[in-house]
Amino acid sequence: MSIDASRRSLSEWLQSEQPASRRQARLGQAWRTWLLFTGNRLGMIGLAIVVLLVLVAIFANVIAPYDPVLGGDLRTERLLPPSLDHLMGTDDLARDIFSRVIHGARLTLMVVALVAIIATPIGLLVGTVSGYFGGWVDTVLMRITDIFLAFPRLILALAFVAALGPGIENAIIAIAITSWPPYARLARAETLTIRNAEHIDAIRLQGASSGRIIWGHVVPLCLSSVIIRVTLDMAGIILTAAGLGFLGLGAQPPQPEWGAMIAGGRRFIIDYWWVATMPGIAIFTVSLGFNLLGDGLRDVLDPKAEK
Amino acid sequence: MSPLLSVENLRIAFPSRQGPVEVVRGVSFSLGRERLGIVGESGSGKSQTGRALLGLTPVSGTATADRLEFDGIDLRHASTRQWRKLRGARMSMVMQDPKFSLNPVMTIGRQLMEAVKLHGGKSEAHDKSIAMLEAVQIRDPERVMAAYPHELSGGMGQRAMIAMMLVTEPDLLIADEPTSALDVTVQIEVLRILDRLVSERGMGLIFISHDLRLVSTFCDRVLVMYAGRVVEELDARRMSEAAHPYTRGLLNCLPTITGDSRPLPVLARDAAWLE
Amino acid sequence: MAFIDIEDLEVTFEGSGRQVRALKGVSLAVEEEESFGIVGESGSGKSTVLRALCGLAPVTGGRISIAGDPVQMPRDQAFYRRVQMVFQDPYASLHPRHTVDRVLSEPLAIHGFDHAEDRVEQALEDVGLGSGFRFRYPHQLSGGQRQRVAIARALILEPKVILLDEPTSALDASIQAEVLNLLDRLRAERGLTYVLVSHDLAVVSHMCDRLMVMQGGEVVEELTREALQAHATAKDYTRNLLTASEGFTRDPALRR
Repeated sequence: MSIDASRRSLSEWLQSEQPASRRQARLGQAWRTWLLFTGNRLGMIGLAIVVLLVLVAIFANVIAPYDPVLGGDLRTERLLPPSLDHLMGTDDLARDIFSRVIHGARLTLMVVALVAIIATPIGLLVGTVSGYFGGWVDTVLMRITDIFLAFPRLILALAFVAALGPGIENAIIAIAITSWPPYARLARAETLTIRNAEHIDAIRLQGASSGRIIWGHVVPLCLSSVIIRVTLDMAGIILTAAGLGFLGLGAQPPQPEWGAMIAGGRRFIIDYWWVATMPGIAIFTVSLGFNLLGDGLRDVLDPKAEK
Repeated sequence: MSPLLSVENLRIAFPSRQGPVEVVRGVSFSLGRERLGIVGESGSGKSQTGRALLGLTPVSGTATADRLEFDGIDLRHASTRQWRKLRGARMSMVMQDPKFSLNPVMTIGRQLMEAVKLHGGKSEAHDKSIAMLEAVQIRDPERVMAAYPHELSGGMGQRAMIAMMLVTEPDLLIADEPTSALDVTVQIEVLRILDRLVSERGMGLIFISHDLRLVSTFCDRVLVMYAGRVVEELDARRMSEAAHPYTRGLLNCLPTITGDSRPLPVLARDAAWLE
Repeated sequence: MAFIDIEDLEVTFEGSGRQVRALKGVSLAVEEEESFGIVGESGSGKSTVLRALCGLAPVTGGRISIAGDPVQMPRDQAFYRRVQMVFQDPYASLHPRHTVDRVLSEPLAIHGFDHAEDRVEQALEDVGLGSGFRFRYPHQLSGGQRQRVAIARALILEPKVILLDEPTSALDASIQAEVLNLLDRLRAERGLTYVLVSHDLAVVSHMCDRLMVMQGGEVVEELTREALQAHATAKDYTRNLLTASEGFTRDPALRR
């Protein structure tokens, strides 16, 4: 059997209208979503950027030509313009900016991943529980959410970092704590429409407990819109992390964090533009990538557009 | 007398991943000043046929026909301007649910008067609107004029909708399931109003519905559609003489209050009907 | 005492500062293995009776008992094994992200039934869907097939009572006939008790031995099928409903 034929039969298996097992049904569903997503060119560009970020972060040691922390000869290699030796030039401590940007991808990815892992479940849980039960549970949870929403994100993060001490870990905690309330609001709004649906009445009549209904029936329907929102927020999270770094409250030197790198380069931006510009371009590209990905996901996953 | 509307070989196609799919496949009929029923199940293309007559086929779809003439006007090549002059003024459409067809932030009166003004007659707009609401048997027209759509019941809303569509005295009214969202008793009242307006004003009416029994008691002539085609055209009074197995199946599978056939005869679909 | 016994049932919805009395003292009695119909127009409270019976609407007065046991609030697990419901809209009553398999296995898991695999296969067989439908998502099913899945879900806990809330009003006429036949067959085979709510007198007359006409949250009258067929009704409201159900009649008196 040729490769082409086996590929065709795989695609048929995935798109079968009569799946024969749970696994086939689930994979088939995922495959259809993927086909839909591949039709969205900007979404695919966003996905490519994000995948590139992940790959760069994983293989940073292999890709980066120099050590990101230890600089070269301070007498001869400081503030060199971009060249073949140093693709993005060097900074005032004679460190290769390209290597630092590559290693910075790790920090950025860590921030993004940790915030997503911490903030999304909190937001989902608070939102669905509050929306499903209503009444005083809703009132209490939503007032707490409102309190968190009322603070400007960066200012609250600043306060947290000031209290906990500067450092990338504390910056992540601060950002995560300030970014869940919008997800809770979103999940609650979705839950309010879902909880009156006939299929929720139906499972209630099967005697299901509230926990089972929320986890198995409400959360899967809220999940896609929350994921879309989280993806779109990633750009903002990266910028906040960079902002904290820029203010000296996030990653501490000599860690190659993009925001801190811009801060370091701002002193000589007129004469040595590349020092601040290169990490800036990296921040811009990754933020754009997450935004495009989020838009693409919205086109595919949004339950309101679903038939 | 030449017919009010004549349609020949109407075809409507929508694109899909597997290439264009035809939802209406060669429908032909002509309409005088009479009540014509179009009956079919969901997906039979009856609603798309109705929409195409008003040039309201969704943008993704394409409608073609060998002939599509309304009172001597070729609708296939009508410009946007011509359509604007025709729609509302000479041909109107009543949709299934008045909630979606009426503007929720405007009073009924304003919407009615706007319809009158758009098609000439600014001065008598108010009186004309009141008269029209009375014609659809709304007892308190002044109150309804000042009401917003959500303040009316389903039956009232549908009557207001019919009033709006008829206030310009069109020659052709297309009613797409106009009473399906209403209770049976209200449904009959609304049909009475339509019936009276058709016979008094000499309108042509196309009544699109899934309810074969209702259509056969209300219309003069019935087209039965199946999978985008007209499978049978019948005189409404001779429903029992239907020849096509689909029409017969559709008639038989309905439970009746008096009948006691158990189990109900089930419609066995034949692939040959698609040809 | 009847199998399902409802006395003076009252339901009052409270929302945004006003109270709506949806049911104003409704009483009915349904015998075991009987099929009982409730007819009425929108706003008559016919669906509310079903929803109150199974605990989805707030009961503010009256008594409900099934097989002699007063129904408790909140309903216990045994209640759900005895009473199940089929909803009106097959497009809304199935979870869009769950396969048929999950829809049918979940109640079994909740109530700890054994042989879940066999039961799911059997349930699909019983409602005329083969096992080929087991791993499909709702969007891969037609309206009639979805309603069959909903019926299978209601039957899988082997209840005695099925509440049917306009089970065919969202379906095409030819599909309606198939679903009605299926419901008829299942009742005969399993000795089920049906309470069927519909706006369509013909459907109720076809399916039910006895029926009740409701208007504005109150019972207008109770009839047997024979009485309905003979137009032997005491109330004008029922008579109007009957005439309207028989289709349009051109009334010469109305033509001026």
